[in-house]
Amino acid sequence: MKRVNRRFSTLLFLGIAAALLGAVTLAGICLKDAALVTDFSRKDLPPCQGFLFGTDWMGRDMFARTLAGLSLSIRVGLLTAGISACVALVLGVLSAAFGGWVDALISWWIDLVMGTPHILLVILLSIACGKGFTGVVVGVALSHWTSLARVIRGEVLQLKTAPYLLAAEKLGVSRWNRVKLHLLPHLLPQFLTGLILLFPHAILHEASVTFLGFGLSSEQPAVGVILSESMRYLTTGKWWLALFPGAALVLVVVLFALLGERVRLLLDPGSVHE
Amino acid sequence: MRKFLSLLLGAALLLGAFSGCGSPRGEASSVESESSLQDVDQSASVVIAMGPTSEPEAGFDPAYGWGAGEHVHEPLIQSTLTVTNTDLTIGYDLATGISSSEDGLTWTVTIREDVRFTDGEPLTAEDVAFTYNTVKATSSVNDFTMLDHAEAADSATVVFHMTRPFSIWPYTMAIVGIVPEHAYDSATYGGEPIGSGRYMLKQWDRGQQVILEANPDYYGEAPAMDRVTILFMEEDAAFLAAQAGQVDVAYTSATYSGQLLPGYTLEAYDSVDNRGINLPTAAAGGTNENGVAVGNDFTSDVLVRRAINLGVDRQEMIDNVLNGYGSPAYSVCDQMPWYNLASQVEYDPEGAAALLEEAGWRLGEDGVREKDGVKAELTLLYSNGDSVRQALAAELVNQLGELGISCTMEGVGWDTAYDRALSTPLMWGWGAHTPMELYNIYHTQEDTGTALYSPYANSTVDQLMEEALACSDLEESYALWQQAQWNGSTGVTQEGDIPWVWLVNIDHLYWVREGLQVARQKIHPHGHGWSLVNNVDQWSWS
Repeated sequence: MKRVNRRFSTLLFLGIAAALLGAVTLAGICLKDAALVTDFSRKDLPPCQGFLFGTDWMGRDMFARTLAGLSLSIRVGLLTAGISACVALVLGVLSAAFGGWVDALISWWIDLVMGTPHILLVILLSIACGKGFTGVVVGVALSHWTSLARVIRGEVLQLKTAPYLLAAEKLGVSRWNRVKLHLLPHLLPQFLTGLILLFPHAILHEASVTFLGFGLSSEQPAVGVILSESMRYLTTGKWWLALFPGAALVLVVVLFALLGERVRLLLDPGSVHE
Repeated sequence: MRKFLSLLLGAALLLGAFSGCGSPRGEASSVESESSLQDVDQSASVVIAMGPTSEPEAGFDPAYGWGAGEHVHEPLIQSTLTVTNTDLTIGYDLATGISSSEDGLTWTVTIREDVRFTDGEPLTAEDVAFTYNTVKATSSVNDFTMLDHAEAADSATVVFHMTRPFSIWPYTMAIVGIVPEHAYDSATYGGEPIGSGRYMLKQWDRGQQVILEANPDYYGEAPAMDRVTILFMEEDAAFLAAQAGQVDVAYTSATYSGQLLPGYTLEAYDSVDNRGINLPTAAAGGTNENGVAVGNDFTSDVLVRRAINLGVDRQEMIDNVLNGYGSPAYSVCDQMPWYNLASQVEYDPEGAAALLEEAGWRLGEDGVREKDGVKAELTLLYSNGDSVRQALAAELVNQLGELGISCTMEGVGWDTAYDRALSTPLMWGWGAHTPMELYNIYHTQEDTGTALYSPYANSTVDQLMEEALACSDLEESYALWQQAQWNGSTGVTQEGDIPWVWLVNIDHLYWVREGLQVARQKIHPHGHGWSLVNNVDQWSWS
């Protein structure tokens, strides 16, 4: 029997996962309006054919709400992870490339942000930016860059002493060219993997902060809002309000985590030929 | 792989936290109350679950909101000069006679002389005067600007000197618990109150429970319930506590009204706990002194406001949102002695449509009305996290949609809601045992020339309410309050300016253990809490 190439199967998985997440995102955008419709004639329906995830106490379609919420989470995740990763890249490279007081300052800053309880920082930033959508995005974006920045700094420090970079320096290549030609390409795998692995964190924190009521207003379809609303109805036996959205959130987070792992396998020179 | 696993576990943990943090506090407190209840005669004690917001943050000090403020109720631990009867007229507690001077600037109240505080000291007019002067100086929740000062003429007569005539002063006297001058320290009184009321505070575990015991020296009829335990817990915890049989009475809401609890009956008590929206009567464009936008072009047309009032199917709202547990609201004071029946309107969608046509709003092709190229659009605000207000707003959005008004709803926090409401309708909750609420909502402020919560001004309404306050006879003042709502030519009702549209009065729901006779309730005011136990001394087990 022909053994399926590991590289091929990984690529296939990547394709499927990316397509699935893309589909959820798009479907959520299309269902945004449907998610807001209330119809009291169909309230509190358990899952059935017309409403796969049931309806809530105002007769809103939970399937539409869940998809719209996930879509929002993914988009917020993309945006915030992107911002975080860029901040991490710039600070990490700066820190390692310049050393001295720049390194000390940035390392101190990283320690400070990491030392603050994460969810607290997100809430504080969110409130400072007036809650709402902006609050959530700023809060999550400006609190997730630290660990990636540290990884990149370490990587750059290590690369700086690599023979090929020392050789380039001796040959008179300018500092900027060394960073552009020799450093950044080497950092790309770390950066991409870090970026994708930021998604799950960003999404979970977005959900947490909206769950706690510091994010979006409560008619908005966000996973956190949906879950916090469902809490009130659990004791009356409306299990579907929490189960499906919660499971869907976990699924999306797991998909992103797997995606990150596989991308690393593909990009990392150490494992790419396995 | 480890990273992935930890993420997965993290996600699962998060989910667990979402679904699992329902009721640990409630359970803990009910267990404790059980153990502390073992030594009492069960037939004369009752355990009641109330919401966490019912717990008085500053303790049982009338100066800091106990019994007074937004959620009015009888203070139980202290006596009051007057009480409100079941029909919301005024009766006497400590008082034996009340009279006011012709100009309304002096109130003279005689009090009973056989009353003692629970520490054995007699309650005198000195204590009454001290109490009122104290609450005037320190009360953060009530307006006492109409009182200049109180003084004791002799040991059984207290005289109130007013800064302005205030005919409804007896309603204020019904919520101020009398504290002992000799034992009052504002720092500690809230936690260790001494009063002369039906009950004494036996124990208060902050965040958990309050235990009240009957006052053996009470001057009135001895309380039938010797011990009242109040547990503070969230709604779902209260439901579970009732399910487990740990409480005798548990507050609940329409959400749970479909459930069956063996051994308990669901009791619904009438309330004037209303919900309604404000419709700014000023056109958009203005700002107030803080730069906040004031006014709304769409609702500034009186025909539009009348159409909304007429086109709201209140009964459907009650059926849909409250599972039937409510009554239509037509004013902020339904069923009160000062309520004007002219406020009532019949649901009439055709009439509403005709009013909108008359105002120039013609039905467009997409079902949304238009006027001069402008769509009939309205944003409805509600307070975030309040599921009933959210559902009422959603239902209103649907109903107004049928009238051809395209509505969107938006949740806001109370930090911004008051400002936003000056230009955008907000879902409010009101309802108090005093006509002063009419004044607070509809009367213009001196400095701005418009009402406090929503832009509105009508000099006739203002004048009638001022006359009502200046009136020397309480009974007569009721008629003036009624005229302020509608005097035959102007007012705040359908045929008048209709600056607020009232939607529903929410019934206060309780699970009550079978066999417990809850005494007849007076119409509950806003706030689903202590009002229930106003007459707990008359409850009994059968």
